[in-house]
Amino acid sequence: MELGQLSAEVAIRASAKGRPREHAHSGDLARAGGRVFIYAALIVWTFIALFPLYWTFTTAFKLGRDVTQGHMIPWVDFAPSWKGWQSLGLSPDSIFQSWQSRDEFVKRFVNSIIVSLGASTLALALGSTVAYGLSRFNYRFGRWGNKDISFFFLSQLILPPVVLAMPFLVLYKALALLDTRIGLILVYTLMVLPIVIWVMRDQFDTIPTEIEQAALVDGCSIWGAFLRVILPIALPGMVAAFILSIVLCWNEYFFSSLLTGFDAQTLPVMVASQTGSQGINWWSMAALSTAAILPLVLIGIFLERYIVMGLTAGSGK
Amino acid sequence: MGLSVDGGKLEVLQTHPSDASAELGRWVFRLASAVLILVGVLQILDATGVADFGLTDWRPFLYAFLLWSVALGAHQVLTRGEAGQQALFVLPGLLFTLAMVIFPTLFGLYIAFTNWNLNGASSHHFNGLDNLITLWNDAYFWNALGNMVFYVLSVLVQYAIAFGLALLLNAEIRARKFFRVAFLLPFMLSPVAVSWMIGKSIMENRFGPAATLARYLGWEDPAFFTSPWIARTSIALMDGWVWIPFMIIMLLAGLQALPNDVKEAAKVDGASAWQMFKAITFPLMLPASMTAIVIRIIFELKLADIVINVTAGGPGGATDTVSSYIYRVYRDRSDIGYGTTIAEVYLILIIIFITLLLKATSRYMRKMV
Amino acid sequence: MRVGIYNQLMAMQANRREMLKGAAGGAAAIAASGSLGTMTLQAFAADSVVSQVMKIPGAGNGSPTDADWQKVGELCLGPTKETVQPGEFKGVEFAFMGLNNQNLHNFLFRGFLKPWEAYTGAKIKWIDLAQADYNARLQQTIASGTVDYDIIEMGAPFEGDMGVKDLLSEMPDWVKKQIDFDDYVNYLKPPVGTWNGKIHRTCIDSDCHTMNRRTDVFSDADLAKEWKGWKDQAGLSEWGPPKTWQQVQAVTKFLKGKKVKGKEVWGFLDQPKPWGGFQFYFTASRATAYVKYPGEKNWLFDENMKPLITNPGWVRGIQDVVDLLPYEPADQLNADPGTTAFQQFLTGTGSLLEWWGDIGTVAKTSDTATIGDMLDFDILPSSDDVYNFRKGQWEKLSTGPNQAPNMAYLGWGIYVMKSVDSDSKRHKAAWSAAAHLGGKDLSMWTAAYPSGFQPYRKSHTNLDLWALAGYDKKYIGSYMDSQSTSYNHANSAIEPRIPGIFQYYSIAEDELTRVFAGKETAQQGANNIAAAWEKLTDKLGREQQVKYYRIAMGLA
Repeated sequence: MELGQLSAEVAIRASAKGRPREHAHSGDLARAGGRVFIYAALIVWTFIALFPLYWTFTTAFKLGRDVTQGHMIPWVDFAPSWKGWQSLGLSPDSIFQSWQSRDEFVKRFVNSIIVSLGASTLALALGSTVAYGLSRFNYRFGRWGNKDISFFFLSQLILPPVVLAMPFLVLYKALALLDTRIGLILVYTLMVLPIVIWVMRDQFDTIPTEIEQAALVDGCSIWGAFLRVILPIALPGMVAAFILSIVLCWNEYFFSSLLTGFDAQTLPVMVASQTGSQGINWWSMAALSTAAILPLVLIGIFLERYIVMGLTAGSGK
Repeated sequence: MGLSVDGGKLEVLQTHPSDASAELGRWVFRLASAVLILVGVLQILDATGVADFGLTDWRPFLYAFLLWSVALGAHQVLTRGEAGQQALFVLPGLLFTLAMVIFPTLFGLYIAFTNWNLNGASSHHFNGLDNLITLWNDAYFWNALGNMVFYVLSVLVQYAIAFGLALLLNAEIRARKFFRVAFLLPFMLSPVAVSWMIGKSIMENRFGPAATLARYLGWEDPAFFTSPWIARTSIALMDGWVWIPFMIIMLLAGLQALPNDVKEAAKVDGASAWQMFKAITFPLMLPASMTAIVIRIIFELKLADIVINVTAGGPGGATDTVSSYIYRVYRDRSDIGYGTTIAEVYLILIIIFITLLLKATSRYMRKMV
Repeated sequence: MRVGIYNQLMAMQANRREMLKGAAGGAAAIAASGSLGTMTLQAFAADSVVSQVMKIPGAGNGSPTDADWQKVGELCLGPTKETVQPGEFKGVEFAFMGLNNQNLHNFLFRGFLKPWEAYTGAKIKWIDLAQADYNARLQQTIASGTVDYDIIEMGAPFEGDMGVKDLLSEMPDWVKKQIDFDDYVNYLKPPVGTWNGKIHRTCIDSDCHTMNRRTDVFSDADLAKEWKGWKDQAGLSEWGPPKTWQQVQAVTKFLKGKKVKGKEVWGFLDQPKPWGGFQFYFTASRATAYVKYPGEKNWLFDENMKPLITNPGWVRGIQDVVDLLPYEPADQLNADPGTTAFQQFLTGTGSLLEWWGDIGTVAKTSDTATIGDMLDFDILPSSDDVYNFRKGQWEKLSTGPNQAPNMAYLGWGIYVMKSVDSDSKRHKAAWSAAAHLGGKDLSMWTAAYPSGFQPYRKSHTNLDLWALAGYDKKYIGSYMDSQSTSYNHANSAIEPRIPGIFQYYSIAEDELTRVFAGKETAQQGANNIAAAWEKLTDKLGREQQVKYYRIAMGLA
C-alpha cells in the first residue's frame, strides 16, 4: 500500500509541525457553525474525560461525608481536609513524623518505578529487534514463517493471566524469583512485549528499505545499519511503545499481588487495600490514586506528542 | 536449528562463513548444549532426591539456559554468516518468550485435564474429559460468553466515538495540545480506582454526580446497575472511558499520516465534508481502524477488573464476563483444574475468532488499497 | 500509671504482676456477674494500664494514628516483659502476613509490635494483602509450597485448610496464661480456634451479625400513628423496633415511601450482590432463626454433609429477601454488604441493618457516618416458628420465638506456623508476638477504637472502660448487650470450618444472585446450590470432608 511507503521523515515532519493550514473561507456561516460544533464537542468530551479525574483529585481532600453527600467544589460545598494525605503520611502535619504507611507507600512507589522502567526497557530492546527482523527479513522456522512468529507473539496477549497463577508460582519458586523485582520485570516484559512488537513493526514497515541499502553499500553491517541508521529514525515510535508499556506495567495488579511478598511490592495492591470489610476509605484511595497517577500524567504532558508522532509513522500501514 | 532466512524483503548480499568459523560455531553450540543437558540432569537428580548436590533452586539451570542462548546466537552467526546475523534479530525475543511461557503453558495444559482443587483432600489426578463435559453444561460460562458478544460489539461504538474525536483533534483547532493530553488521561487511571471512583461513587444511586445529573434530566430513579441492559451498558461506558483514549491515539496517528494532496484534490472538486469523509478519509483509514479494533477486541475479551469490582457479574449474571467468571472459579473457589480448562477453551475460541477476523479484514484491506 | 512511674516501680522490683492481676481479675469477675446496665462499680484501678490505654488518643482527638498505636503497644508490653528478657530474640527475623484493610490491620500490628521489637530485639517483615486477594493467596501458597510467612492473621473459617495440612503451631501453655484464655467469650472457646483438639489461635477479634436500628425512625410519633392503621403488623401491635423476621418484613413494606423529618426512610437493607463469598453470611443470617433448631449443632449441613439449604426454612429465608427487594432502595440489587453499611446505613439510608459489630464503633469514631447517636442495637431477629429438619416440620417452640445469632466468620486471629517449631528461639519469639497482639489490655483498645476488630472477651463488657474512650454508656451498653448476648447465646449458629468452606459460599453467592434477579425461584436456587455443593464435596473428597466436618463442628 502506498501510505506505507511514505517516507518516515515526511511523516515525522508533518506530525511535528501539524498539518498545513487549510484555507478558511471568510464569512461562511456553515463553517462558523461547524467551528462551534467542533469546540462544543471537544469541550463536552474534555469534561467527560476529566471529570472523573477531578472527582478523584478532589476526593483526596474530602472527608467521608463529603463523598456520600456528593459534594463537588472545594471551599464552596465542602471544606478541604488533609485526611486522605494524612493516612499516607503526606499531609503537612505528618510529613515530618515517622509514618508507617508512608514508608510502605514510598517503598512501593520506588518498586513500581523500577519495575515499570525495567520491564519497558527490556521489552523495548527485545521487541524492537524482533519487530525489525520481522519487518525486513523472511524467516523459516520449521513450518513457521513470519506470520506465524508474529501470531505467536500476539497470542501471548490473549490468555487471561489468572490461569497462569499456579504455573508461575511453581516456576518462580523453582527459580527463586518470588518476591524479586527482576522476577516481576520478566513477567511484565512478557506481558507488554507483543504490544511493543506490534507498534515497532508498523514503525519499521514505513521506513523505506533504501535507507538501509544505502548504509549497507557504505559498508555497514546489517546490525550497524539497524543501530546507527534505523533506530534514530524510529525513535518516536520507540517512545510511544515505551509509554504504553509503562502505563500498562504501572497499573498491573494481578501478578504483583501474586508474586511479591515483601521486597518487590508495587503500588496497585496498596490502592486496592483501601477497600475491604470496613467499606472504603475514599479519601485515602483517592489520595493514593492521585499520587500514583501523577508520574503518568507528567509523562502524558511531556511525551504526548511522541505518542502520536510515533504511532503516526506506522498506523497508516 | 531450523531457523533460516530465505532471501528477504531487504536485499542483502548473503555471505558464507569460512569452514573454520563454521566448525567453531558448531563446537560452541555442542559444548553449550552439553552443559545445559548436564546441569539439567544434575538438577533433576537433586530435585528427585537421587543425589544431593546441595542445590536449593533451579537457578543454575536458568544460568545454563542463558549461556546456551548466547551460544546459540554465536552459533548462528559463526555458521551462517549474514543469515545468522539476521536470525539474531528475532532470536532473543523468541527465546525469552519461549522460556517464560513454555513451562506455564505445558503445566497449564496438564492442570486443565486434572481435578485439581486447592482445597481437595487428596492430591489431584488426571480426569480426562470431565472438565470439558462440565464446561459444556456450565450455564455460567455460556451466559458470560453471550455477554462477551455485547462487549465486543461495544468496541465498535467506542471506535465510532474515538474516530469522531480523532477527527476533531485533527481539525484546525486552538489549544490542540491541551485537548490531546486531556483526552489521553483517562487511560492512565488504574482499573481499581476507575471501579471505585466512577462505578461506586460517581454512578452511585443516591449521591453520585451522574445519578444527580440523570435525575435532573428526568430519570426518576437512576439505578445504573439493576436492570440487565442498563447494567451492561454502564459497564461498557466505564470500559469505554478507559479505552477510548487508546483508540483516539491510534486513529489520530492514522489520520495524520494521510497524504494531504488527496484531500486537496477532493476539495478542488468541490466535495462536501461528508462526501470527502465517505469517499476518502474513511476508506483510507480502514487499515488503521482495523488494527485499532483488533487490538481493542483482544483487550476487551479480557475485561474483568471493572466487572469484578463494580457488579461482581450481577444482576443475575447480566454483566458477567468470561474472564471475571474464570477469576471466581480459579481464585475465589481455588478450583484451578476447571478454571484452567475454561481459560484454555476460551483461548482457543479467541484464537479462532481473531484468526477469522484477521483473515476477513486483510482480504478487505487488500481490496481497498 | 505513666511509663516513667512504671519504670521506677520496675526498678524498685514492685510485684507488678500481682497488681495487674488484681485489676483485670476484678473486671472479669464483675463483668461475668452483673447485668450490664446496673454496673456502677469502677472495675479497674484508675491508674491501671488499661485505663491509660483507653485514653489514647481520647474522645474528640480524631482517629488514632501511628504514634498512638505505638504508645498503646508500649504501654501493653508488661506481660511480654515478664516472659521475655530484653534483647532475648536478637537475630530472629520472621515474616508476618496479614491484611492491609484500609491501612488498618497490618499497619496497626506494625505500630503495636514496634515497641515489642525494640524490647525483644526481633525483627518482623510485613506482607500486606488486599482483602480481595487474601483467600486466593492463602490457598495458592499452601498448595504450591510457597508459604513465606511465620505468623499469619487469619479468620477461623480457614482453620480447616490449615489444620488438615498440619501447618499450624500449637499454642504453648505460657501463652494461654499470658493472654488469659478463659476470658474469651463462650463460642470462641474450643472447638473454634482448635483443630483436632489442639489450640492454634490467639484471638484478636470476634464476629457475629447483629441488628442495627435507627432510633429516630422507631420512635417517630407520626409513623406510630400510621402504623395503627396498617393491616399486616405481624404481631407488632405498637410501633417500635421489630423483634422477629416476620415483623422486619412487615415494617419494611410499611416504611416504603414514608418520610421522617422530611427525609425519605427505608426499612431493612438486603445485600444481594456477591462479595467474594462474604455475601452468603448475610443470606445465612436471614435464615438462621428459621433453620437453627435449639440443641442441634447442624444447620448448614447435616452430620453427613448433606446440604440442608433445600429445606423449607432456608427457602423461606431466601424468599424473604426476594419479597423485600421491591421495598428497598432502587439500586439495592447491586448493593454488597460494604455498600449497605458504609454508603447506605451509616449515611442515613435504611433503618434496619444486619451487620458485624463495626457499625456501632464506626458510627461513633469515623467521619464517614452521619447518623451519629440515632442508633441502637439488638441481636438478630427471631422467628415465630422454626423448621425442625429431623422431623421435617415447622414448630412453634414453647419457649417463644426462636433466636439464633449467626457468628459469621468467627473473627480474626493470629496464628503461628508450624515451621517455627523446630527452632525454640523462633518458636518463643513468634508466640510472644502473637500473645502481645492478643493481649488483654490491648484488646480493649482495639475493641473501642477504629481497628477493624470487635470485642471478644468477657471483660470487654466493662462499660466504664468504654466511657474512658468517650463513649456514652447508654449507647455502648446497648451495643455490648447485643454483642455479648449473641456471643454467649446457647443457640448461636456456628459455621463449619471445613477445608474449602469459602468455595461453598462462593458457589452459593453466584446462584443466589440469579434468584434475587428473578431468574429462578428460591426453591430452584436452593436446589441448584445443594447440587453444586454435593458435587464440590465429591470433588474435595466426600469421606474426608465428612470427617473434617465432624471435627470442625465438635460432633466427634
